Amino acid sequence: MNIRRFPLTREVSLFVLVYLYLPVFVLIGYSFNANRTATVWTHASLDWYVRILNNPSIRAATWNSLVLAVSAATAATVIALLAALATRRAFPGRNASETLLRLPLILPEIVVAVATLILFVAVGIELGLGAMILAHTVFCIPFAYLPIRARLEGISGSYEEAAQDLYANRFRTFRRVTLPLLWPGVLAGFTLAFVTSLDDFLTSFFLSGPGTTTLPVYIFSAIRAGITPEINAISTVMLVISILLVSLSFALTRLRR
Amino acid sequence: MTRSHRLAAAALAVLLALPATAQDAEKTLYFYNWTDYYPVELLAKFEAETGIKVILDGFDSNDTLLAKLQSGGAAYDVIVPSDYVIPGMIADGLLMKIDTNAMENYVHMKDAFKNPDFDPTHEYTAPYLWGVTGLAYDSAQVEGGVLEPSWKEYFEPRPELEGKIAALDTASDVILAASLYLGIPQCTESNDDAKRILELLEAQKPKLKLYSSDSTVDRLASGEVALHHVWNGATARATAQRDTIRFLYPAEGTPMFRDNFAVPANAPHPENAKIFINWMMKPENAAAVSNAIAYGNAIKSDEFLSDQWRAMEAINMPEEYSGRLVPTQDCGPAARELRDKIWTRLKG
Repeated sequence: MNIRRFPLTREVSLFVLVYLYLPVFVLIGYSFNANRTATVWTHASLDWYVRILNNPSIRAATWNSLVLAVSAATAATVIALLAALATRRAFPGRNASETLLRLPLILPEIVVAVATLILFVAVGIELGLGAMILAHTVFCIPFAYLPIRARLEGISGSYEEAAQDLYANRFRTFRRVTLPLLWPGVLAGFTLAFVTSLDDFLTSFFLSGPGTTTLPVYIFSAIRAGITPEINAISTVMLVISILLVSLSFALTRLRR
Repeated sequence: MTRSHRLAAAALAVLLALPATAQDAEKTLYFYNWTDYYPVELLAKFEAETGIKVILDGFDSNDTLLAKLQSGGAAYDVIVPSDYVIPGMIADGLLMKIDTNAMENYVHMKDAFKNPDFDPTHEYTAPYLWGVTGLAYDSAQVEGGVLEPSWKEYFEPRPELEGKIAALDTASDVILAASLYLGIPQCTESNDDAKRILELLEAQKPKLKLYSSDSTVDRLASGEVALHHVWNGATARATAQRDTIRFLYPAEGTPMFRDNFAVPANAPHPENAKIFINWMMKPENAAAVSNAIAYGNAIKSDEFLSDQWRAMEAINMPEEYSGRLVPTQDCGPAARELRDKIWTRLKG
């Protein structure tokens, strides 16, 4: 039986969609509110966007978030790509390696964040952007790994065999055959890792040092002074960055086909 | 002037100039303050005058600040702890001795702030901003336009105000106000005291419009409530929008908080930190903060205070009220547990 014919499918889906997205739309809507109170609508205005643009703390936090997300996602994608290639063929300990790679998905983030903090302090790594990039890379790896691994699963080994039959060495095979075929997976992995790093609060909160406040950490500490449409505006900007990125990677993937 | 004379003069000049201009090689200062609690324009002025670039990060509570310091990994130069956490920080060796009392601009400090209980001779800290939690009311919504400076107006309100009163939604503020009204010590561990506080708050609850610590300024400025348990700074900002608002320093005791500059023991640029703290005690700079943030400072800077704040009792507290101010204490675990119990029973 087709799932579409199930009774109540349409109603339940609608409810779930509204439940998931209504708060987001309300948040975006009120970011254009002229009133200072986040919950009483007066009239439309872009004041709050102008204010966040002119706020140096928010500009610095945005820059920190972007630098952190790009660095961590790039490192995580490279590691994940190598890991995916390595775990492609069977070898003793393959299952254990794959579980290890996925571990950050299962471990409670607070435990990892505290453990990382204690380790960094013990070893003498100064808290700040470097420490945050290291820690973000670790929890971004599984997000980059899974799409690459899935894509690799779908690529038949015969392309590479054919390339090698035609006297391409292993590096050339990888560069001209495997990587282009894998590219959509790599892009998807990078995007996922980027978005995961961008909205991370816990790890950044524990490991941030002087001058490395990220957007989520800024939002958290700004709420103390009350929820103003400024928070809505920053959140909307973050949402737009994420959506743009996901659309971009989607478009690039389509283009490649 | 001979050559050796000139050399000696130059050496002397260098020596004399040194204490004032001693700076860390790196012209940077890591400043860790409450979020949105410092006017960023002022940092540009500091950089222009001293050449030191300030990097500002924000925290949300004394707990976050303590956690960052105690973990030992993050190195800030200037932090802003509240009064009651400072003795613990000094005892734990988290703060560096900076001898504020020997700084050039220390002379500008108001006498009333010179010997605080938490750092009696100002060896470790310098005052930043201070404020009180009291009562704000809209005189246009009150018959006769005047309320008594007493917590009675809030806990046992006149019938005309019932349903038009807002309370803060913070256990410590609400229970401290009730304790002061009932004459109970603020860190009480007695169950009888707790019972009296709870009875008072439960009797008051139906007469309140709501409990909320958010958007207090808007609530007052829009006239949504006639009486609000609130901070003086928020009251001042609301008064700027609605000039019929008045502030009360309740005579039974008005809780006061004092935020201070301090330098962590592991600060990477302690010399720059001292330059900054000294600079902040200059009257025009202290006043610039008060003008922007709407809280009072501890420096003789009244002539630089903007007229709109100077006219308001909420910011420019009349001298005779100083006897009403009660510093916030850091209560022990038993008192805190009792406070949580009262709050849960009240809100549950």
